[in-house]
Amino acid sequence: MAIDVSTLLQILFWGLYAGCIYILLATGVNLIFGVMKTVNFAHGELLMIGAYVTWTLFSLTGLNPYLLLVATVPVLLLFGIAVQRLAFRPVLGSHKLNEIFLSIGLIYLFQNGAAMIWGGDYQSLRSPFESIAFDIGSFRLPLDYVIIIAVTVAILVGLQLLLRRTRLGLALRATSQNRKAAMLSGINVERMDMLAFGLGAALAGAAGTLWAVSGQVFDPYMGSVPAVKAFAIVILGGLGSIPGAIIGGLFYGVAESAATFTLGGAWKDAISFVVLIVVLVIRPTGLFGERGE
Amino acid sequence: MPVAFDRVRPTVVWIALAVALLVPALASGSLYLLTTASIALVFMIYSEAWNFLAASGQGSLGHAAFFGLGAYASALTASRFGLPPALTILFGGLFAAGIGLLIGLTCVRLKEWFLAMVTFGFAIIIQTLMVSQFAGISGGWDGTAAPALVPSSVPFAPYVQYYLVLAVLIVVLLVFRRLLRGRVGLAFAAIRENEVEARASGIDPVRYRLFAFGLSACVAGIAGALEIHQFGYVTPEVFGTDISFWPIIYSISGGLGTLAGPLVGTVAVTVLWEGLRGVGLTYARFVIVGLLLILTVIFLPSGLVSLPRRFQAWRRQVEKGEADVPVSDAEIG
Amino acid sequence: MRTALIAIVIGLLLVMACFAGCTQQSVPAAGLKLGVVASMTGPASTTGKDVWQSAQLAADEINARGGVFVKSLGKNVTIQLVQGDDESTREGGIKAVTKMITDDKVDVLTGGFSSAVVTAHESIVADHGVPYIITGASSSTVTRRTDINTSTMFHHAPITDASASQTTIFVDEVMRPAINAKFGRPADQPLHLAVIYQDSPFGKGALDAIKATIAAKGLKIQLVAEEPYKMGETDYRTTLTSVKAKGPDVVYPIAFLNEEVPMLTQARRDVGLNTIFLAVECVDDPDYYKGLGQYGDYSIIESRFSAYAVPKGSINANVGEYQKDYIARFNASPGMMGAATYEGVYIAAAALEKAGTTDQAALLSAIGSIQVPEMVESMRNGTISFGNQYHESQFNLFMEQLRWDAATQTLRPKIVWPAELKETEFQIPDWYRPGGV
Repeated sequence: MAIDVSTLLQILFWGLYAGCIYILLATGVNLIFGVMKTVNFAHGELLMIGAYVTWTLFSLTGLNPYLLLVATVPVLLLFGIAVQRLAFRPVLGSHKLNEIFLSIGLIYLFQNGAAMIWGGDYQSLRSPFESIAFDIGSFRLPLDYVIIIAVTVAILVGLQLLLRRTRLGLALRATSQNRKAAMLSGINVERMDMLAFGLGAALAGAAGTLWAVSGQVFDPYMGSVPAVKAFAIVILGGLGSIPGAIIGGLFYGVAESAATFTLGGAWKDAISFVVLIVVLVIRPTGLFGERGE
Repeated sequence: MPVAFDRVRPTVVWIALAVALLVPALASGSLYLLTTASIALVFMIYSEAWNFLAASGQGSLGHAAFFGLGAYASALTASRFGLPPALTILFGGLFAAGIGLLIGLTCVRLKEWFLAMVTFGFAIIIQTLMVSQFAGISGGWDGTAAPALVPSSVPFAPYVQYYLVLAVLIVVLLVFRRLLRGRVGLAFAAIRENEVEARASGIDPVRYRLFAFGLSACVAGIAGALEIHQFGYVTPEVFGTDISFWPIIYSISGGLGTLAGPLVGTVAVTVLWEGLRGVGLTYARFVIVGLLLILTVIFLPSGLVSLPRRFQAWRRQVEKGEADVPVSDAEIG
Repeated sequence: MRTALIAIVIGLLLVMACFAGCTQQSVPAAGLKLGVVASMTGPASTTGKDVWQSAQLAADEINARGGVFVKSLGKNVTIQLVQGDDESTREGGIKAVTKMITDDKVDVLTGGFSSAVVTAHESIVADHGVPYIITGASSSTVTRRTDINTSTMFHHAPITDASASQTTIFVDEVMRPAINAKFGRPADQPLHLAVIYQDSPFGKGALDAIKATIAAKGLKIQLVAEEPYKMGETDYRTTLTSVKAKGPDVVYPIAFLNEEVPMLTQARRDVGLNTIFLAVECVDDPDYYKGLGQYGDYSIIESRFSAYAVPKGSINANVGEYQKDYIARFNASPGMMGAATYEGVYIAAAALEKAGTTDQAALLSAIGSIQVPEMVESMRNGTISFGNQYHESQFNLFMEQLRWDAATQTLRPKIVWPAELKETEFQIPDWYRPGGV
């Protein structure tokens, strides 16, 4: 079978798109971990809620879903802050396992709460740009995916600016590097926890919106598989490392695409996890090392 | 998390045992109730296994992997080689233990969240492998048949089945009690609370953690095999996340780290679950269970079994005239 | 206070005992008790509701006409339905069926949807020898198991083999000549078929059946691609790109509704795979038409019952009436599983009349030898019967082509094959490119 360049490029392109979603998810997980030193296992559910919120807004207003990002992201930000305040803050300081178990409870709550609000059936969204595509030879570049990649880049750049150029970002980084010192220098670490979780949720919400807009169907239970992959990426790239999340996410997206092309779709998920196990055995702290405790 | 392994008064144990023995009679000939009770017993064994691992400070989010592997190993050896289930169930446990040790080796030096993520993902990996790469052996999504635990030719088979599972549960409880009350239990507590100090006092966390992993996986595998031989058929759904999460819910609501916790939790949540179903709630049932877990973790971290002691402590306070002072966990002991 | 702990334990047991009592349904003695296995909760609950509602419709119709005459009792008796919620899980199915058999003491069982759930509870049914008219489950294993006695199981739903086989025949008989004619190819040019199948017994079974049919009948079809995907997948772009590179004339996905919708959409919209897509009957549901929208234009579904199409021929009037009655009573469109269950209830009633008694052995023998005229689904020789070796009834499956109406913004099916049922001719759209170019 002759594989021509345009097919390979196409496969790469789809991998890039998938990578964007993973990057946003993994970055959110790492942001939360960096500050709170806990892994949010209900992160996939935040992705799902983001998709549903955008879908609801779209059904109500009919506005361009990309514009609706401007609305969905703040909603998820506030939601994340609320969840952190109500659920995670009370168990702060108790055994780490408690936070993990709390996340499990949240998974049940979010999945079935979503099913109660929006029904358990599959939903999908249509982008107004869906029929626009650029054809470069036999390489096809639908506009939506270009926008999705651009949006992801924009969000990441924005996040970097927030972390590096603002006082808030400085406070977040200080808290994640040394919590006690941050506290001593007057930073309200509990507020940083809320903010970190909120930002992580906002990133997941954006990922959910992009997921929905690209025409992937979603239902209340779709969050678990992307979440597991996000964890694998986080381990691969290094827990707490945002550059690790970005590179890891890209790598995963492309690897999955390549695996589907060569080995068949049934191997798609298994490949991700095999990579995970190999990394764990060789270098347990991931490519970029583990930050924090 | 509760520090000490609680000591239940012997009277309570005898009463609980008597009740367990009488359940088939109480079920008044309803096969449905008896089956539900037998399944509940299996989940008690499974929850005890998970709980044992959690007592060593390792919270596995993918215990369904061991439950399912034990089930498959037992089902396949029983139907392929015609061995009696009693033997294959043990084999299933050992097989799961072996895999458990392998996973343990990768995670045992790492933090809690690594274990959680790896076990979470591992259950999915095993499921994927079972339905694709190993489909030839496992029957893929179709699954494979398993001979009944007690053949229907035996008179009163469902009752015999129930008592067999109950016997296994009692053995498991005795083994765990011995371990948790002894050196192992103390070591677990030390590792859980402060690993550095534990190491300083000569306890090797890695060795104990591995041990916990192997034994926990073994018992979980036995539980899985027991369930599957009752159903007569095993399918890859056995590796699902809900199977991974039930022992967590049962153990935490009952009392994490205690011996009675998983038992009480299983009974309480099962009754709640079946009761809610009668009222006809679909998704709301799961929401309620999720809320139960969250509220328990926040407000009642020592679980239902700590209620009597809390009540006792509260009463002591009332007698001392300090009813307004909140009861601290330290006083509950 | 340890007594508090005791009190809790005893209290819980009392509650459990209460459930034992409360759930004992006191049902009147006379009548045929028909247990309906339906997924009222869980992921399959929409189908379950359809199954239960259709059963109710059938039972009420029969009872309204005076019930069923039972010779041994010398009078008419009513059909009493008992609902068994399998919760879309194996454990739930086992619990529900156990309860229906041992507590409610049903005479006959019907329903069932997921093959996995059904296979899990079959052993209980077999142990008690209860007749089970399975109106769902596409896997042939339900009546072909070698480890338990399936002689009391009757499969009233087409097995995957039959669906795949019929579709393949349609491809060779209708699609291939039409494509060859339109693009000036020689009449005996083989058609290039790509199969994208779910990595499961459902998908693999269909793929095997496709290959077997091609071989057995010497069809001029060449399989140019066989791409598996994991169940529940939502992103098919890479797989579709791979398939496109192999130049298929027709693509045959073996997929569920929630998989085929994104697959087809991504194929036409993102990957530019401008070809005709087939589909398995399990997608034939209003949600499919809504989800696909314009991208489903000219695609094909193999089916046996549709909410929107009424086959010509002998069952035309029946189907129209059934749809009308269902919509009037439940304010929703009837589905395929419900249609089969509706017939299942009637089969049970007919068997009761034929047997003349509610005795289990007589009922079993009656169902095994019964000949019921077709009702809302077209059957081979116009009858529902379980005469074959594996107690499988033989359906007359039809192929629908979907057409998009830009004015009303709806996608609707029209039956194009076989000749005795068809409403219109199969058409090739202008945007179609053979070899998927």
